Amino acid sequence: MTKPAFYALLGPALVLLLSTTYPFLSGIYTSLTNQKLYTPATKFVGLGNYINLLETPLFWTGLANTLTYAAAALAIQLPLGLAFAILLDVPGRLQSFFRSTIVLPLLVPPVVAGLIWKTMMHPQSGVLNWLLAQVGIEPLSWLTSPHMAMASIILIDTWLFTPLATIILLAGLQSVSGEIVEAARIDGANAWQVIRHVKLPLLAPYLLLVALFRVSDSLKSLEIIYSTTKGGPLDATRTLHVMAYEEAYRWSSLGKAMTIVFVLWLVCYAISGVLLSFWQKQEAKSHGQ
Amino acid sequence: MLSSLMPRGLGRAPLFAATALAVSFTLTPANAEMNWRAADGQTINLMLISHPFVESLKPLLPEFTAKTGIKVTFEELAEQSGFEKLLADLSSKTGTYDVFMTSPLNNWQYASAGWLEPLDPLIADKDKTVADYNIDDFIPSILSAGRWDLTPLKGIGEGSLWTLPINFESYQLAYRPSMLKKLGLEVPKTYADLLAMSDKLALDGPNGKTHGIITRFDRYWDLPYLTFGTMLQSYGAEMLDKDGKLQICSDRSVAATTDFITLIKKASPEGAGAFTWYEAMQGFASGQYVFSLNEANLFAPTYEDPKQSAIADDVGYAPTPLGPDGKRAAAAWIWSLSMNSASQHKDAAWLFMQWVTTKDTMIKTHLAGNMNPVRQSAWDAPEVVKLMQGWGEKPGQYIEAAKTEAEVATIRFPPHPELTRMLDRWAEAIQKSYFGQGDVKTNLCEAQEDIQRMLDE
Repeated sequence: MTKPAFYALLGPALVLLLSTTYPFLSGIYTSLTNQKLYTPATKFVGLGNYINLLETPLFWTGLANTLTYAAAALAIQLPLGLAFAILLDVPGRLQSFFRSTIVLPLLVPPVVAGLIWKTMMHPQSGVLNWLLAQVGIEPLSWLTSPHMAMASIILIDTWLFTPLATIILLAGLQSVSGEIVEAARIDGANAWQVIRHVKLPLLAPYLLLVALFRVSDSLKSLEIIYSTTKGGPLDATRTLHVMAYEEAYRWSSLGKAMTIVFVLWLVCYAISGVLLSFWQKQEAKSHGQ
Repeated sequence: MLSSLMPRGLGRAPLFAATALAVSFTLTPANAEMNWRAADGQTINLMLISHPFVESLKPLLPEFTAKTGIKVTFEELAEQSGFEKLLADLSSKTGTYDVFMTSPLNNWQYASAGWLEPLDPLIADKDKTVADYNIDDFIPSILSAGRWDLTPLKGIGEGSLWTLPINFESYQLAYRPSMLKKLGLEVPKTYADLLAMSDKLALDGPNGKTHGIITRFDRYWDLPYLTFGTMLQSYGAEMLDKDGKLQICSDRSVAATTDFITLIKKASPEGAGAFTWYEAMQGFASGQYVFSLNEANLFAPTYEDPKQSAIADDVGYAPTPLGPDGKRAAAAWIWSLSMNSASQHKDAAWLFMQWVTTKDTMIKTHLAGNMNPVRQSAWDAPEVVKLMQGWGEKPGQYIEAAKTEAEVATIRFPPHPELTRMLDRWAEAIQKSYFGQGDVKTNLCEAQEDIQRMLDE
């Protein structure tokens, strides 16, 4: 590489590096201070915020809620998305209609989706309890009971994001070569066996991709929760992201907020790292390396 | 008119008390030249929090522009998101909002940070303030609640004036006369009366089962600060005692909390543990409840409006119940306007704040639903009196209840920039007890320990 080319490429690379690392490092630094929005007097407190956070029972509740949300979202949306993808992969007249309608929830902003569902889940005037009453089921406290709120939030998340899983997995199914499927059929495989032994193994990288997207997104989810329960009732849906948001924008404590954000980043990084390594293994396998 | 109702000689002055910590201004001389068109051609931007005041203000804005040549743009958001956005803007000192709706509680943080323009110099400047502005016409204790000398935990009513009030709310017991008649019950005078009838309040209405009580009950500061705060204070429990010690898990506080939870459990429906003020107002206006307990009295115009309410011809108002010692105390909320110290249009901003809070504009907003008045002259204005006179089961009932409450309504909390965080923690303890996670005393004592730590920080 010539010297001018080297410097020409170095410039943008440095800009990119600085524009990502500077805010990140400045965030970590903030987490080591007692910075508050309303006072210029900021003190370096070392790991004080981290120690306080770990000693707060609410942190462990928040961490458990965050992990429950992400795990449940994935455990429901992956198989459901796969089932929809398989159905949409079956050639048929209505296929293109269903393919376009299933993505509709993805076009709804999460805050709007949250508000729509909040209205539908209202204990007295919501349509869901009205529907339950039509079949003789007692009304449910969808978002207003600490025992049900998390499940309701996950239901909203599932409505909103299962289509994403479906689209990715459908793309994966359609990339499976017709020749392989044909060969399996000739060998006497039935439809289920084709899915189980031919399509699913080839779909593995796509499943991991969905897992990677959904886990990192749902660990950081804020809009649905904030537009429905704001972390309540009590602390039933208070995730780490909700806690960080409240620290920053309700209570102006940037230091404490950044501490939670950094812990959340660590959790995301660790889980995504594991999934990414699986994905890379799958990629290597599917490319015969 | 109101001064006759005011208790005398109290250390801390309730809202209507003439003895309040008012600092009176020497008004501008009568020959002062103040030019309403001094900022002609400028544009100011407001942050407004959704409230009947905003609805009453919007139709008047063209009048302001015609008078001053100043164009007004605004953003209107719900309370929580509005304050969150305001915080982001104020802290970045960009001056996006020249004037914004706020309250003394919020201002304790904003003033500490230097984000507010002190208003005394503007009011005293004869070139900037109209001669007949008459600051002394504001109910003194309401005006002085916006004054603070920035000393944590004290100094309210002293130091700089940070804000001008536009309305104030206190709390009341709203009830449905027809339902009480059907149940054979009287309006309760005390919390004990209310507790005694709490499991007899369910009725079968034309639209399904109706419930006994609705009141806000979320996990936020407004619970101990305003609505339940009114009950708490009537039980003789305040956040700090005279020596500055926390009283959150005192016997009186435990008793009030226990009774409150009993009331909600016995007389409120499923979902009561997540009701916000909006749901409390809508719920009562929908006709599904016998009582609206200790909710904002300024919801009355909504209840009285047949377009917004199913109970317009069947609603009554009474003062909040008396505590165990026969005592009544009430919280107060004061919506106010403050000026951003980072504003690039301070002259125009002041003209706007001044115009909104003049007697004439205030009366126009009151007639369009902005309750309750903060100027003595507005309380006395015949058209305002006539409007309020019609509210309630019998003529004058609303005014009577509002005045009774105003006699004992004040801010009984220490000024502190992080008071909302402390009160949020307090509210969490109350909710925990409601949801059966630990007993009342333990939960309140844990909250008290945490709040002590916040104070020590």
